[in-house]
Amino acid sequence: MAKTPIGLEPVVGSLASSKKREYRVTNRLQEGKRPLYAVVFNFIDSRYFNVFATVGGNRVTVYQCLEGGVIAVLQSYVDEDKDESFYTVSWACNVDGTPFVVAGGINGIIRVIDASNEKIHKSFVGHGDSINEIRTQPLKPSLIVSASKDESVRLWNVHSGICILIFAGAGGHRNEVLSVDFHPSDIHRIASCGMDNTVKIWSMKEFWTYVEKSFTWTDLPSKFPTKYVQFPVFLASVHSNYVDCNRWLGDFILSKSVDNEIVLWEPKMKEQSPGEGTADILQKYPVPECDIWFIKFSCDFHYNAAAIGNREGKIFVWELQSSPPVLIARLSHAQSKSPIRQTAMSFDGSTILSCCEDGTIWRWDAVPTN
Amino acid sequence: MAAKSSPSDSVDRSEPPNDSSMTQTEENTVTVKEVLLIIDSLKKQVTADRSVYVKKRLEENRQNLGGITSHLYKLSNERRSSWISDTDSASDLLTKRQKDALSMQNGFDISDGDKDSYSYQEPSTAVLMGSSIPVKNAVRPVKLTEVKKLPPYTTWIFLDRNQRMTEDQSVVGRRRIYYDQNGGEALICSDSEEEAIEEDEEKRDFAESEDFILRMTIKEVGLSDPVLESLAQCLYRSPSEVKARYETLMKEGKDAGASKNGDIEAQNWNSFLEKDLEAALDSFDNLFCRRCLVFDCRLHGCSQDLIFPADKQTPWNHPDEENEPCGPHCYRLVLNSERNGTVSTPMNPKEKSNSSSDGVGAQTSSRKKSSGPYARRKVKSCQSESALSNAKNLSESSDSEIGPRHENSLSPIPQLSPSKNKIAGKSGILKRNSKRVAERVLICMRKRQKKMAASYSDSVVSGGVSPTDMKLRSNAWKENEDSTSSSQKNVKSPNTGRSRRKEWPLQEGEKGEVPEVPSSETINELARSSSNYGLRKEEFVDENLCKQELSDDKSWKAIEKGLFEKGVEIFGTNSCLIARNLLNGLKTCWEVFQYMTCSDNKLACHAADGVISLLEGYSKFDLNGTMGNNEVRRRSRFLRRRGRVRRLKYTWKSAAYHSIRKRITERKDQPCRQYNPCSCQTACGKQCACLLNGTCCEKYCGFMVNTCVDDILMLIHLFSFLLFAHLYRCPKSCKNRFRGCHCAKSQCRSRQCPCFAADRECDPDVCRNCWVSCGDGTGTLGAPPQRGDNYECRNMKLLLKQQQRVLLGRSDVSGWGAFLKNSVGKHEYLGEYTGELISHREADKRGKIYDRENSSFLFNLNDQFVLDAYRKGDKLKFANHSPDPNCYAKVIMVAGDHRVGIFAKERINAGEELFYDYRYEPDRAPAWARKPEASGSKKEDGAPSSGRAKKLA
Repeated sequence: MAKTPIGLEPVVGSLASSKKREYRVTNRLQEGKRPLYAVVFNFIDSRYFNVFATVGGNRVTVYQCLEGGVIAVLQSYVDEDKDESFYTVSWACNVDGTPFVVAGGINGIIRVIDASNEKIHKSFVGHGDSINEIRTQPLKPSLIVSASKDESVRLWNVHSGICILIFAGAGGHRNEVLSVDFHPSDIHRIASCGMDNTVKIWSMKEFWTYVEKSFTWTDLPSKFPTKYVQFPVFLASVHSNYVDCNRWLGDFILSKSVDNEIVLWEPKMKEQSPGEGTADILQKYPVPECDIWFIKFSCDFHYNAAAIGNREGKIFVWELQSSPPVLIARLSHAQSKSPIRQTAMSFDGSTILSCCEDGTIWRWDAVPTN
Repeated sequence: MAAKSSPSDSVDRSEPPNDSSMTQTEENTVTVKEVLLIIDSLKKQVTADRSVYVKKRLEENRQNLGGITSHLYKLSNERRSSWISDTDSASDLLTKRQKDALSMQNGFDISDGDKDSYSYQEPSTAVLMGSSIPVKNAVRPVKLTEVKKLPPYTTWIFLDRNQRMTEDQSVVGRRRIYYDQNGGEALICSDSEEEAIEEDEEKRDFAESEDFILRMTIKEVGLSDPVLESLAQCLYRSPSEVKARYETLMKEGKDAGASKNGDIEAQNWNSFLEKDLEAALDSFDNLFCRRCLVFDCRLHGCSQDLIFPADKQTPWNHPDEENEPCGPHCYRLVLNSERNGTVSTPMNPKEKSNSSSDGVGAQTSSRKKSSGPYARRKVKSCQSESALSNAKNLSESSDSEIGPRHENSLSPIPQLSPSKNKIAGKSGILKRNSKRVAERVLICMRKRQKKMAASYSDSVVSGGVSPTDMKLRSNAWKENEDSTSSSQKNVKSPNTGRSRRKEWPLQEGEKGEVPEVPSSETINELARSSSNYGLRKEEFVDENLCKQELSDDKSWKAIEKGLFEKGVEIFGTNSCLIARNLLNGLKTCWEVFQYMTCSDNKLACHAADGVISLLEGYSKFDLNGTMGNNEVRRRSRFLRRRGRVRRLKYTWKSAAYHSIRKRITERKDQPCRQYNPCSCQTACGKQCACLLNGTCCEKYCGFMVNTCVDDILMLIHLFSFLLFAHLYRCPKSCKNRFRGCHCAKSQCRSRQCPCFAADRECDPDVCRNCWVSCGDGTGTLGAPPQRGDNYECRNMKLLLKQQQRVLLGRSDVSGWGAFLKNSVGKHEYLGEYTGELISHREADKRGKIYDRENSSFLFNLNDQFVLDAYRKGDKLKFANHSPDPNCYAKVIMVAGDHRVGIFAKERINAGEELFYDYRYEPDRAPAWARKPEASGSKKEDGAPSSGRAKKLA
């Protein structure tokens, strides 16, 4: 990468832990033998803020965090295809509020599970290859986006089962898309990143009528006029290797590659020429031993902190919005040695879950301060 | 690096430190150490600023985000409450399990083992997990029924015609990282050559903060080499770079100060209307594809060579509406009313009717009256008229020539044309002239007395007669001159001037009919008359007229002027059409007419000047009627600054690695050669690019104008070009041209057809009997009956996109497959294999990637291009390979482009899957594409041969 010019250097957080909060392991589950790739809390419905879902192998499991470090298994789903390997899971809901668990993986089929009836609601077939991440639009939780190995990002309506938009084509990703995220307030905007080392910001403003149409569509979903969005509004080359996770932090973007750090940057678009612009790298959050790809971080509901695991089973909790960044805590346990693929922070950040390559789930709870 | 953020010492960047002036005055020679110290302190300041900035931005963002998340929290609470209110919570299994788990935790405080056994008995409720018991066994899972997954594919975009790869799609020179599917480990896949390219990065722009350091340091310690060096060191750049940047900074600073005031005004201007038409037309020149006749052609690209057509387009001629006023502001109406108001007194009724818009009848009647001497001349005048109308077609300027001679119509002897059409055509011009007269009358009336006006109108008559005489014979020139100038010289000098001026281009126009180099006599005459003209120029510089013109000019915006000029090129002097089609809503017909009159005069003036200056030097050139036109064209052509002619510089070098590619032939040599239009200026000779390249000349070959730098050169260039334009295009007689076919019966479906035999589609522009029928499809509407009876060319299917419906489905063999919807017969055209056109070099790089995925959509097209259907293509890209196929592929030349058509090798029934032989090179074919008997016989087959591709048909 080019040397950052003087005066535009990012503010880099210090790895000296501030010990602002202390976390302790309160539970550890062995879900199975196959690696767990995703864990996620339900932030969609406040009833279920303590409910989370994990995926690994051909299995989707729903848990609940209870007092005293107790975890209860609520539901478990198994794909009949033993070769299925789920990579990602997200919570969504129907227009009437029915909670859905949406999962996808190597088969490229998105499974929408109706958690209130414990039944499969819909299966979305369309992606040409494995699905690497699914995210839910927080403002309209019937909308999900999926990032796939087939180099596309697709927008779906879980309520009607329609593939509304495909973000791919002439200006699309040139390799697998690994991560995608909805802008928290601008409903038209998503950011995606992947193996072509770029982060792309897409706008669906021009196509919003199709999104609206998807809610009232009564005909067969296959007859819906799915549109291609071929050009992103912004393209950033912040990293020089796979970009495997990106999240919006307000109007900024947090993204990580395999360079042992999370980067916070501001996309500065040029109004006249869409598709061009510069990325102003504001802050960096170092994460040692985090140099393998497909490690994702997570934030609490209010984006105060982010937790990320590393190759050696350690977790780093960063205060996101302070400058310079403060390392809230560094979590480690003698028995936690396996790479942590994803973490999940609870609503207030007091609980951190991690799911590991060896199929274990760890629960860490903040030690209450007096 | 940790940020040094002490907000107290942060200073606004634009504000210099307090002691700067002192340091500068005290020390002119500073040591390197001091310089470094200064730079260091500045650096610290900048870093501090930066951290403050980041802090500020983050704080702003945090506040925004706070609002957002609390809104989201509200939403999530709403969901909860709405759910509880309108649904029976018991039916919600998730909620039920949640409650179960909670009650269980409260109710039972027992050991882990008990929990497990409990869960086995009642698997429908939740299970509490305390330690490391496999969750897998804790609850009975709900089965998700299997859904058949799709065969893998990469998202692709449908293309109905090939596209050339855009720059940003290239993988050459880019580092790509792949991961090993099995090991999950990332591998960097790039060779040394690519890494070398990556090394030299593009020059980085200077950041604002770097500029600041630069400026402040030099301000403090002055500009000297050690300063520059230490600066360069600290900014990681070369000293020269730093110096250059400093200079631009200084310049910018000055500019910014100077232009501050002017800017505001400039911004208020309407950018659209102020934009020059030429600037707007620039996109036409650069983006319009001359071959496909579309903008932004994705196949042939932008900035194509401009090839001027040999046949000059004739100005728009619309005989029907010539006489009808085009609207309430039509110049006809305005003229009529004006003339009736002012000039009616001195004119007799007949003249009036003559000049009125439907004066045809009157003219015909007056024709009978034509006197003896006039009758003698009639034949000639008719000739000249037809010639004149030709001249009009040839160039716009000839319109101004026609003008003066129709002043005759004001005289008792009207000029008549043989055909009605022409009368109609001229009546417009006639009115224009009478309008001019009317204008002048007005001026005169204002300026002088009524008495003078009367004598003036007399002079109009006499003056009008004389041009008639001299129009054909330049000998008459002097007589006329005498008669007009001597009689009323003082009174109506403006008029004389006027009529002269109009006569002058008239002569030009007449010579325009004669394409040969004029005799020396004519040149002399031209010279003489032009010098006369020059002498008399002062006379006709009428102040009032000029004023009027000036005001006219001002109210016309640049774009309007440009549009008007284009309009004249297209429609001639028909102000109705120009106003309606190009200046609709901007100018009325009357305004256009006025402007035209003014600019005509000016043009004529300019033209004359030009002639005088040019005649001496370039008497060889026939300075014919195109003069006025040149005035327009010179500007337009010159301003079209095209980008450099982008020729595809491609050097074929055999790369070490050849990816697997589909081919139509099993030979190793490149089957076809890419056609690029040649730019031969004369008939294609030995140096013809097409000939050297081994391709035929096509209808797109021809002369192109390169950017001319020199103004005069350009002018001369254009003169010669306009004269010999017809020679400059690759003519139909070009020996290197493909002649097309003359097939009458065979429907161009066999090798008897030369087009078919040469792997070309018939071209309606080239072949004699192959035309595109329009209308009902049976060929009755557009096809003239004499051109063969019901002859329908069957060799234009790619051009006409007459393809079969192809369906995409799960292949019976592997992955995706293409299926045919309807049955077809043998050799039927099924569809085109479209894709991105990429270079062979690019194809090698991409091939590496594709080979890893064991799928290839590369198809060798010709010596320059490979088709890649990986991300862009059509359904036929999914047709599978088979050693015993039912289809075959063929590269066909269609209108200068190579395209791949897929044809039926045998009869194919509806719903059958399509296969064709990919013809991979035997040693590179993947295992699944190898013929069982392959190895031995193939190698002999692959022996190099120099001939062209062998057809498979």
